[in-house]
Amino acid sequence: MFRRMHTIRNVWILLFAAALVASVANWVHPRKIPWVQDWSTHVEAKARKLGFEAIPLAVALEKHGASGTVFIDARPAAEFAAGHVAGAWSVPVQAFGEHFETVGGLIDSGAELVVYCSNRDCDDALELLVELRAIGAQKPLFFVDGFEAWKKYGGEVEP
Amino acid sequence: MTPDQKIYRVAYWIASFVVAATFLAGFQKLLYPADFALAVYRFHLLPGPLVNLVAIYLPWLEAAIAVCLLLVPKFREAALWLALALLALFTAGIVVNLVRGTGFGCGCFSHAPDAKPMDWMSVARNGALMALVVLALFGKKKSQ
Repeated sequence: MFRRMHTIRNVWILLFAAALVASVANWVHPRKIPWVQDWSTHVEAKARKLGFEAIPLAVALEKHGASGTVFIDARPAAEFAAGHVAGAWSVPVQAFGEHFETVGGLIDSGAELVVYCSNRDCDDALELLVELRAIGAQKPLFFVDGFEAWKKYGGEVEP
Repeated sequence: MTPDQKIYRVAYWIASFVVAATFLAGFQKLLYPADFALAVYRFHLLPGPLVNLVAIYLPWLEAAIAVCLLLVPKFREAALWLALALLALFTAGIVVNLVRGTGFGCGCFSHAPDAKPMDWMSVARNGALMALVVLALFGKKKSQ
């Protein structure tokens, strides 16, 4: 009985000590984060709310090159020209109307569409996903980490 | 100490060491709190305001558990019970997300976006770790 009480007391001491150290550490951490953050404004949260499936780099790398998967780059044309996921199609969300035929063809082909933009903070891919779904794309995927992570972690790049 | 007690004591030490080493292997969570917060968010199990608090606290709790398991015999039993509780929570979170369907990593050991997505092997690994914690607790009891 005494030993059990002793262990329970030590559990509380450990929990408290960790809380104390974590508080101080986050206060002085060079990459400290806010104690409370509004995650509802995060691009992934918006995508989730809209019912889009988000995939990370690991899954995007697996899907790349698989037959029946097409990557769509939602960034402006100039950024696409400077470098993009190998084999990706450029459909800048700002010029969606100009690419209507291309997109229609991709949707009709029945390919699995994977849409991306620059990084985890850009909205272009999400906006394009909304447009794609509006014209009939079935379950397009949102590659959340974007081109910057793709390039950094060795994904195949063109040109 | 009888030979049996010695064996239990060794089992207790080895199991404690393996669990501590596993917890310390997640040190990247301490270095990159924003990435770990994102991993916690991606479990979609906590209310938004709790995500960062948990992401700040958990890695230090894991570190405290590991340090106690390795260096503070007085707190080792408490650390083992906490490790068991944490592992059970992590495993439940992973199972819920696997059932829902997710392509994201658990954020357990890597903050890189190309980290392997969580899968049933993650559950098996945690199950094995929980078995080790139970072995350590059992070994401690029997070695006394």
